[in-house]
Amino acid sequence: MKNIFVIFKREYLTRVKNKTFIIMTFLAPLLMVGFYAATIYIATETGDDDRTKTVYVSDNNPELLLSHNPPANYVLLPAPSDSDSALAHVERGLVHGWLSVEDRDLRSVDSATYYTSETPSITEKESLKEWIRNKATQRQFARLGLREGQIDSLQSSCSLETKEVNGQGDVKESSSGLKSGIGFALAFMIYIFIFVYGSMVMRSAMEEKTNRIVEVIVSSVKPFDLMMGKILGVAAVGLTQFVAWIVLAVGLVFGISALFLNSGNGMTTQQAVQTGIEARTGMGGMGAGSGTAVSMGGEMSAQGSGMTSGARDMAAEFTEPLSNLPYFQILAVFLLFFVGGYLLYSSFFAAIGSAVNQESDVQQFMMPVTLPLVFGFVIAQTVALKAPHGAMAKLFSMIPLTSPIVMVVRAPFGVPFSELALSFGLLVLTFVLMVWLSSRIYRIGILSYGKKPTWKDLWKWLR
Amino acid sequence: MSKVIEAIKVCKTFGEQRVSKNIDLAVEQGSIYGLLGPNGAGKTTLIRMLSTITQPDSGEILFKGEALKESHAHQMGYMPEERGLYKKMTVADQLLFFAELRGLSTKDAKASVKHWLQRLDMMEWARKKVEEISKGMAQKVQFVSCVLHNPQLLILDEPFSGFDPVNADLIKDLIIELKNQGTSIIFSTHRMDNVESLCDHLAIIHQGEKVLDGGVSEIRRKYATGVYEVGFYQAVEWGAGMSATGESTLISEQLQSDGKVVYRFQTSDSFSPDQLLKLAMGKGNLVHYSEHIPSIHEIFVDTVSKTAEPIAGATIASGPL
Repeated sequence: MKNIFVIFKREYLTRVKNKTFIIMTFLAPLLMVGFYAATIYIATETGDDDRTKTVYVSDNNPELLLSHNPPANYVLLPAPSDSDSALAHVERGLVHGWLSVEDRDLRSVDSATYYTSETPSITEKESLKEWIRNKATQRQFARLGLREGQIDSLQSSCSLETKEVNGQGDVKESSSGLKSGIGFALAFMIYIFIFVYGSMVMRSAMEEKTNRIVEVIVSSVKPFDLMMGKILGVAAVGLTQFVAWIVLAVGLVFGISALFLNSGNGMTTQQAVQTGIEARTGMGGMGAGSGTAVSMGGEMSAQGSGMTSGARDMAAEFTEPLSNLPYFQILAVFLLFFVGGYLLYSSFFAAIGSAVNQESDVQQFMMPVTLPLVFGFVIAQTVALKAPHGAMAKLFSMIPLTSPIVMVVRAPFGVPFSELALSFGLLVLTFVLMVWLSSRIYRIGILSYGKKPTWKDLWKWLR
Repeated sequence: MSKVIEAIKVCKTFGEQRVSKNIDLAVEQGSIYGLLGPNGAGKTTLIRMLSTITQPDSGEILFKGEALKESHAHQMGYMPEERGLYKKMTVADQLLFFAELRGLSTKDAKASVKHWLQRLDMMEWARKKVEEISKGMAQKVQFVSCVLHNPQLLILDEPFSGFDPVNADLIKDLIIELKNQGTSIIFSTHRMDNVESLCDHLAIIHQGEKVLDGGVSEIRRKYATGVYEVGFYQAVEWGAGMSATGESTLISEQLQSDGKVVYRFQTSDSFSPDQLLKLAMGKGNLVHYSEHIPSIHEIFVDTVSKTAEPIAGATIASGPL
C-alpha cells in the first residue's frame, strides 16, 4: 500500500506542479467556451450565403408570387416570356436563376423548377420550397375567402407540460430537455475524461519504459502497485482539474451576475418573467422592456409579448424541474460510473503503454479499446437520449464497456435501483478482472524491449 | 563470514529457452562478487531473480538465510543495465522518490539525499531537472539513486557500461568504499579489466550455466598452466643444458616492441624453477623471469570456448522473450 502511495504521490505532484497543467486548467474552460461560441456564431451568422440573388420567376399568376415578401436575399423579376432567353440569361450569369412554376393551382410543391448555373445548397433549396409552399397556402386561403388576419388566427400553438408521478403519490414538474441535456453533458465529460486521462496513463507507462526507469522501480514495487499508483495518481490529477473548473465556473457565474446586477444592464430570469407578465396584461408601462412592447402596436407588440412570454415559459420550464431533479442519484451515478469507467479503461491503456516500445506502435492496440468507448458515446447520443428506458438503452447500460457512458445519460430520467446496482456490480467485476489481466501484461510488457509486440505476444503474457 | 544472498539450484525458462540452469551462488557479507559471461549468457536473468523482479521456476534464493521475498527489496540496491531517470523531474525530487520507494520515510529520505548530494558535490544541481544536467552528472545521480537507502546488498548490472572513464573511476571508488563499510556487492560485466581489480569472488556464466566459480586469486592459481616466461634484451641460443631443468619445452619466442625477447616454457610436474633460472642466467642479460598466471580474460575465453555447444546462447535476449 505504501508503495502505491509513493507512486501515486509522484504521478500526482509532477503533473500538478507542471506549468502546462496549471495554464491549461485556467485556459481550457475559456477555450471550451470560445470554441462553442465560435461554432454557434459560425453556424448562425456566417454559414449562410449572403449574396443577393436576382432570380426570374415565371408563373401563370406572377403578380401574386412577386407581390411582396420575397425570400431573404432574393430579388425577384418577372421572367421573359420565352423560356430560351430566360435560360440563356441564366447561363450567361445575368440572373442567378430562374424559378419556373408550371402548376396553375400551385397545389403541388413538386411542380416548380429552379434553373441555375450553380447547384443550390440543401438549405437554399429548402427555403425556396418553403417559400413557394407558403405562397401556395396563402393563395388557397385567399381562394376560400379568408383575409390575412384570419389566416394568422388559424395558426395555433401548443405547449406540452410533463409531470412526473412518483411512488409517494407526489406530482412534480419535469423536463425531458433538461434531463437530456444534463445526462448528455455528464456522459460527454466521462467520455473526454477517459480519453484524455487514459492516454495520460498510457504515456506515463511508456515514458518509464522507454526511459528505462521501470526496471529500477519494479525492483522495489510490484508491477501491479506501480500500475495502480499510476492510474490513481492520474485520476487524482483529473479530479483536481474538475474541481478547479467547477470552482472557476461557479466563481465566473457569480462574478458575472454580480457585475450585471450592480450595473443594472441585465435582467435576471425573474425580472424577465415579471416584465413578460406586465407586458401581456398591459399593466406595466414603467419598465423599459414592457413600455416598448405595449406602446408599439401591431406586429411589434405581438413579437414583444411573444418574446417575453417565451422567456417566462423557458424560466417556468426549467426552474421547477431543476429543483425537482434527482440530484443525489445523478451525482452518485456520475461519480460511481465515472470512477469505474475510468479505472476499467485506464487499465487497458496502461497495459498498452507497457507493451509497446514507441508511440507509433500504439495504434494497432488502441483501436479495440477506443471502439467500445466511441460506440457507447454513439449509443448515448442516439438510443439513450431518445428512449432512455428502452430495451437498447437498458442493454448497453448493463454492458460494462459502455455502461459508464450510457448509464449517466439515463440517470436523470430515473433508473431503478436494482438496475443501477446490477450495472455497477458488473462494472466493478469487469474492472477487477481487467486490472488483473492488464497487470499481467504490464508485468511482462515493461521489461520486454526490442521487437514490436503482437496480439499473440500479449496473449502469451496473459497466460 | 555470513552469506548475504544465496541461490540454490535456480532455474528459469522463457518459452523454450532455458536461461538459467541449476545455478548455485553465494555472496559473503562485505565482499564483491563478479558475475561474468558473454552477452546473452543469462546474467541479467539471474540478477533479476536475485533482485525480486522475477521469480525462479525452480530452486530457491535465500536472503540472509530467509527465503527471498519482496520486503527484502528494501535492503537491496539495484542498478540495471538498462537504466534511466525521469527527465522532467529535478535531481532532488527524483532521488527522494527512489529513496521512498526503497522504504525510507520522507524525513530519512531527505537526509540521505542531502548527504549524498553533498558527498558528490552536487548540491547546486539539486533543483535542476535531469534534462538540464550533463550526462556524466546524470550517471552519478543514477548510481546514487540505488545506494540512498544504505542497502546491505548492492546489485549492479554492467555498472560501467555507458559511464565515461572519470565517472567509472568514481563509481569504482564508491564501490570499494561501500564494500569497506560492509556492503556486499554483486556486479555483472562482460569486461574483465574491472573484475581483477575489484572482485573478491567471481563466477562465469555461459549459456545459462555456471561454468566456473571461486575466489579471484584462487582461480588464477588454479588455472596456472606451468608456463614460465624468461626475457632477455637480445635473442639467446638455448639447446645445451635444457635437460637439467627437468621436463620443460620451449613453446614460444616473442620479440616485444621494446626490444625484449620473451621465451615461454611449458613445464611439467618434475620441473624445478631454480634450474631454469640458473640456465637462463648463463645465456645473456636476463631481465624478466616469472611464472605466467593467466588473466581472468584468458580464463574466461578458455572456459567459454571449451564448452561443447556452439555459442548459440549469445543470441538469447537478456530480457524475457
